[in-house]
Amino acid sequence: MDLLIDTVQSIADGVLFGATYALLGIGFTLVFGVMHKLNLSYAAASIGAAYASLLILTGIKAPPPLVFLLPAICGGFIGGMVYLIAFRFIPLATPLATLMSTVGLLLLIDEIIVHTTAGVPLAYPALFSDVIIQAGPFYLRGDLMFVFVLGCLCMVLLLLLLYRTKLGLATRAVSQQPTAAELCGISIRRVNGLTFVITGVVGGIAGAMTGAAIGMLSPLLSLPLTVKGLIVTVIGGLGSIPGAIIAGLLVGGLENLFQFFRGVSERDLYVMLLLFVFLVFCPGGLFAPSAGRD
Amino acid sequence: MLKIFAAVAASLAVMAASAIGTPASAQDRTVKITGFGAKSGVVRVFGVNSEAALKAAAEEINKAGGVTLGDGAKAKLTIEFLDDRCNAEEGISVVRRIASTDAFVAVGPTCSNVAESLFGILQKKVGDASDTGLQFPIIADVAAKGGLAKISEWSFRNVPSEFEMYKSLFAWLKTQHPTLKTIYGGVEKDFAHSNATFGVMKAQAEANGLQIVGQSEWLLADTTFSTQIREMKRANPDIVAISAHPFTTCGALKEMERQGVKPKLLIGLTSSSSIETLQGCAKQAEGIIIPTSFAPVTPEAKKAAEQVAKFGGSADLHSAAAYEIVYILKDVIESQKIMAKPDTVAADRVKMREGLAALKDTKGLLGKVGRTSDREAIKPFLYVHAKDGSWQVLYKPAS
Repeated sequence: MDLLIDTVQSIADGVLFGATYALLGIGFTLVFGVMHKLNLSYAAASIGAAYASLLILTGIKAPPPLVFLLPAICGGFIGGMVYLIAFRFIPLATPLATLMSTVGLLLLIDEIIVHTTAGVPLAYPALFSDVIIQAGPFYLRGDLMFVFVLGCLCMVLLLLLLYRTKLGLATRAVSQQPTAAELCGISIRRVNGLTFVITGVVGGIAGAMTGAAIGMLSPLLSLPLTVKGLIVTVIGGLGSIPGAIIAGLLVGGLENLFQFFRGVSERDLYVMLLLFVFLVFCPGGLFAPSAGRD
Repeated sequence: MLKIFAAVAASLAVMAASAIGTPASAQDRTVKITGFGAKSGVVRVFGVNSEAALKAAAEEINKAGGVTLGDGAKAKLTIEFLDDRCNAEEGISVVRRIASTDAFVAVGPTCSNVAESLFGILQKKVGDASDTGLQFPIIADVAAKGGLAKISEWSFRNVPSEFEMYKSLFAWLKTQHPTLKTIYGGVEKDFAHSNATFGVMKAQAEANGLQIVGQSEWLLADTTFSTQIREMKRANPDIVAISAHPFTTCGALKEMERQGVKPKLLIGLTSSSSIETLQGCAKQAEGIIIPTSFAPVTPEAKKAAEQVAKFGGSADLHSAAAYEIVYILKDVIESQKIMAKPDTVAADRVKMREGLAALKDTKGLLGKVGRTSDREAIKPFLYVHAKDGSWQVLYKPAS
């Protein structure tokens, strides 16, 4: 009976935390969908946005919603900067150039965080951290539930933005047929830049959610979250937002399950194996976009 | 021809005059002490603190007149600090660079994995002509894994013995809390220091009659601890001992609070008796007991803490060791009559090594520090506990 309870509890904890992976996956997948480029600095920028908001919040006493609004604003700004530095002036026809520039930015953002904070972990405010929802032998953390709900809300808003607004239409047009979109008068650079700002906003919220879920921020988070974000993007299907959502929750749940059954030393091994299984047997991921691109 | 001769003679006279040491120029002599450690990456704070401590101690010595060299001249100490990124290859590269200069000693590194590899490139036994290892004395301030100085006769440490600290702590706990019978451990599995110390904790707990009812493992960058803490909760231990650095110590403590795990006693890793833990989770860490070789409890320690803060660092058990090292080096420079000149570098390095090896005890911020034959320190220590958001002294064992 204990085994069953622990199994279910492990999956539940993992799925709730997986909402942060899902948001990170969305960021990776949105940029890839629009530009067919990987932005490897995304997770570091997300953590950077949460740090930036924390530094601002140390100076002012802010109400709880601002704790999540401020990282979103910081994330949008950092996202725009990432576009300017790593994409805008670099020849997009050379895929390796932008890939390497984002790797450089990943390291740069990480070092900026480290030099600003001396690498010291900082406490991050968590909402509903003292709320525990007890259901028989199971319990659900209030802060993780909040993170999960906020993550779902962000996903819905993002989907509405993409499918119910002119900007979303332009983004999808550039994603599917960039040349045709340009012929229709859509500025590809503007759409690309805005995509980075939007993904930055999402990333800022993801960074804040991660900080809130852990209760702390540390530069240690950037690299593991980058890896998790990429795994989620591949498993979900490059360019697919629903895929990133499902894959984020899936990876979160399975990761905890692997840890429960095989221990922490083998946990990441099985997550990587899962990635290889997808790459070999289902390279398009769970929801490979069917639309072509010129 | 005469004009040329006169010009050359005049030039030589000017050069000779400037080469003759006046009291003023002797005052300008400097001795550079090079420290190295992590100043980037997630352990940057250790490097920042070490550098501040080295500079603070050097400034004090300089204000008191500096250091007396072998030729009787007074010299000021200057500190340079290089970044090894807590990476073994970079550490080796940094030390090779330092050894290619006039430096006759270096202080560092931060990380045990760097120290382990770095000490391995030094000559194992002094005078062994078949060993082409680097002949350069290094004294470590932070790298805490047990027994590292044994690797080479050129390596020294001024770090506390965690074995002695936890041996003493568990023996004390046995007398203070005889009703506590069971202990559960939590360890950061992928960090050499945490792992090694966890072995010490377990051995000492068992040696003092505690029953180990289980252990949980996590990694340095882990973010969720629910599975591990559930196991801990089920074991219902009297004592929980966490051998992990502040980031995951706080993560585990927060999860313990959420799951209602309330052991009667908490024990932590030496490195967690820092400001980082209090910044991350002061509330959850309340009561945790940690042995440490530094607390501002003596006039010297209080003064050192203030001085280190002036240089932008924080005095803790690691940076306090760096502070003490500068005074140790001053004493050895003076006792060994080190010349600190470019043409005496090799001889100065040998003298420095011999001087460090000959030390029987040194002055520490908490009292006398003993030296062992395998070049380690026996430092006085005390137990601190987190109380009301700060580290307070709980007990000072008799030395």
